[in-house]
Amino acid sequence: MSTTLAPVPVAPAEPPAPRVGTPLRERLAPYAYIAPFFVLFAVFGLFPFLFTFYVALFDWNPIGDHTFIGFDNFTRMLDDPRFWNATRNTVSIWFLSTVPQLFLALLLAHLLNHARLRAALFFRMSVLVPYVTSVAATAIVFAQLFDRDFGLLNWLLGLVGVEPVDFVQSTFGSHVVIAAMVTWRWFGYTTLLYLASLQAVPRDVYESAAIDGAGGWQRFRHITIPALRPVIIFTVITSTIGGLQIFTEPLLVSPGSTLTCGAVRQCQTLTLMLYEQGFGRYEFGYGSAIGVALFLMVVAVAAVNYLLSSRIKADR
Amino acid sequence: MKLRVIAAAVLLLTAACSPGSGEGGGGDGKSFEFWSFSGINQKAAVEEYKKKKPDVEVKLTEVGNAQETAQGLTTALAGGKVPDLVLIQGDDLPKFVEQPQNFVDLKTLGADEIKGDYLDWVMSQSIAKDGQILGIPTDVGGMAMAYRTDLFAAAGLPTDRESVGKLWPDWNAFIETGKRYTEKTGQPFIDNAATSVFYQAVNQGSQKYYDDKHELIYSTNPHVKSAFELGIKAAQAGITAKQSSFAEGWSAAMQQGKFAALAAPSWMLNAIRSNAPETAGKWDLAAIPGKSGNWGGSYLAIPKRAKNPKAAWDYIKTMQSPQGQLEHFVTSGALPTTPSVYQDPQLTGRNEPFFSNAPIGKIYPDSLLGLKPFYIGPDSTTIGTEFLDAITNVEQNNGNPATAWDDAVRNIKTAIGK
Repeated sequence: MSTTLAPVPVAPAEPPAPRVGTPLRERLAPYAYIAPFFVLFAVFGLFPFLFTFYVALFDWNPIGDHTFIGFDNFTRMLDDPRFWNATRNTVSIWFLSTVPQLFLALLLAHLLNHARLRAALFFRMSVLVPYVTSVAATAIVFAQLFDRDFGLLNWLLGLVGVEPVDFVQSTFGSHVVIAAMVTWRWFGYTTLLYLASLQAVPRDVYESAAIDGAGGWQRFRHITIPALRPVIIFTVITSTIGGLQIFTEPLLVSPGSTLTCGAVRQCQTLTLMLYEQGFGRYEFGYGSAIGVALFLMVVAVAAVNYLLSSRIKADR
Repeated sequence: MKLRVIAAAVLLLTAACSPGSGEGGGGDGKSFEFWSFSGINQKAAVEEYKKKKPDVEVKLTEVGNAQETAQGLTTALAGGKVPDLVLIQGDDLPKFVEQPQNFVDLKTLGADEIKGDYLDWVMSQSIAKDGQILGIPTDVGGMAMAYRTDLFAAAGLPTDRESVGKLWPDWNAFIETGKRYTEKTGQPFIDNAATSVFYQAVNQGSQKYYDDKHELIYSTNPHVKSAFELGIKAAQAGITAKQSSFAEGWSAAMQQGKFAALAAPSWMLNAIRSNAPETAGKWDLAAIPGKSGNWGGSYLAIPKRAKNPKAAWDYIKTMQSPQGQLEHFVTSGALPTTPSVYQDPQLTGRNEPFFSNAPIGKIYPDSLLGLKPFYIGPDSTTIGTEFLDAITNVEQNNGNPATAWDDAVRNIKTAIGK
């Protein structure tokens, strides 16, 4: 993009152009317009990203020595039961939050798309309310709902004679609490995505199906779901990427606000472990190695996304 | 507390993004930036200082809890904008003492002259290998057991602090008392086994996780093992409310009187006061089993790249002088690190109304007298956390008590690689 080297373009021989060449400034202008994004991306995206790979090769004390140790951080990571534990937790929380979330959204989108729904706009907009709620507020409310001794849920269980359940201290229970939070926060967003896609389906398809005697469930199965297939794939992939990076919710429900998320790391996710190593123990190198592993997982998911979506196109 | 994690994260980001602020100089001497952590009321100390030096401007930031403040400081030292003065908790200090090049050697500002004012073993923790003085101690914990007189009375236990202290000459007697209480009332006795038993007992030895040569002995030190077993014993005795310290449920249980006692170093009094204000007057303080010990304490340090090290040093010198610490004790209750004021009537005569006028000016200094100080190393916090977690796992999550010790040792090896 050097200004001195850029030659003035030769005008095409025929037909004669109205102007002989474009001034240099105008030719560079488009690059200037898009530059802010690329500059910001280079500074805040690309550089930290590449730097993470670099730091992962070191025993890196942020306020002390940086010793090159090659791939030791990675071999250590693969031997580290805490890493595999965090991976299991992350996948489990992702599964528990994505499946109900997408089913709920599918059902709601179908209902909200109903022709005879009164105050449709009100209902459509109100599903977005959880999405605009601060995640910290959500976590505090949910932590209180699920509390062992003082939670509403255990109070209700107590009314029917069930012993209180210590959600946050058990592995499965803590995953359920976090998954419930994620589901609650995101189902409205997903619903609107589905709804937008459903609006593109002509009403007469539903109407003629009804005339032909198709019941609600049949219409849902044979019209709604096929129409939504590309969007469903899209939401599965985006929620997977989001699920791999889940951080705030487990940190906030963690008993005593610890980075391990419980005594046996029962709800410690990969990002939380990354943060624990980097900022809890100041092992930046090891934390970066976990970051690289996380990146590779996201790339793998994105590759699956690509394969699936190209298959959908082939189907059509 | 949890929201502060986010606040700290934001601060970390901003600190990480701002470019280095240049080498330290003398500054204008009229203003300085001070990072503290929340919950220990440094605002009061800053107000006192402003009264003494009205022309000096202090920019105080409460970064988050102690650990978050240490994290913020680490990022700042690694290449961000550093404060002129920072408060570091004793447990976080060893990591910084290992890298003294990040801090001003306070000897260059005159720390040698005042070094003798402070408890030897407290001061020695902030002296680096090459003799550099990294920080000046602001307070120590000292130990006591806080208990609810009304709940003790209901359980038929004595309520005056002398007799209560006699109930538990040692930790086994303490656990027995807990069993008596729980049998009588059907209610848990203490908040949890990990911090109110193990953490106190392990801090009462002459060596903890490191020996005097700074070698790791956490898995071989019999004192650590027996403290751990006490914790497991308490966890299995059914006398705990199974509430992790500082968690949501812990505060709620404290407000509702769901436990009758908890270990309370001097800085914990403030946590109890602010958590459960309506329980005022129902608490009292008795001696800790084993009588002596320390939990906590903090230091003031000046980063190398500070712009106003002289102004910061003036604050340290003024506020952390024996007289300054005594005044701060009277207003806030933080126990001085300067033994010369331990006999001062202002200190010994200080009672705490919230805790049935318990003579905190006697209880806490007394708990420091029989203290055998031990070395705190760079991995002490991590080791301690793994031990705590292993006990909590038995207590709250049906972990196997028979394998708890081995699990803890294995986890520590994984965590610190040694």
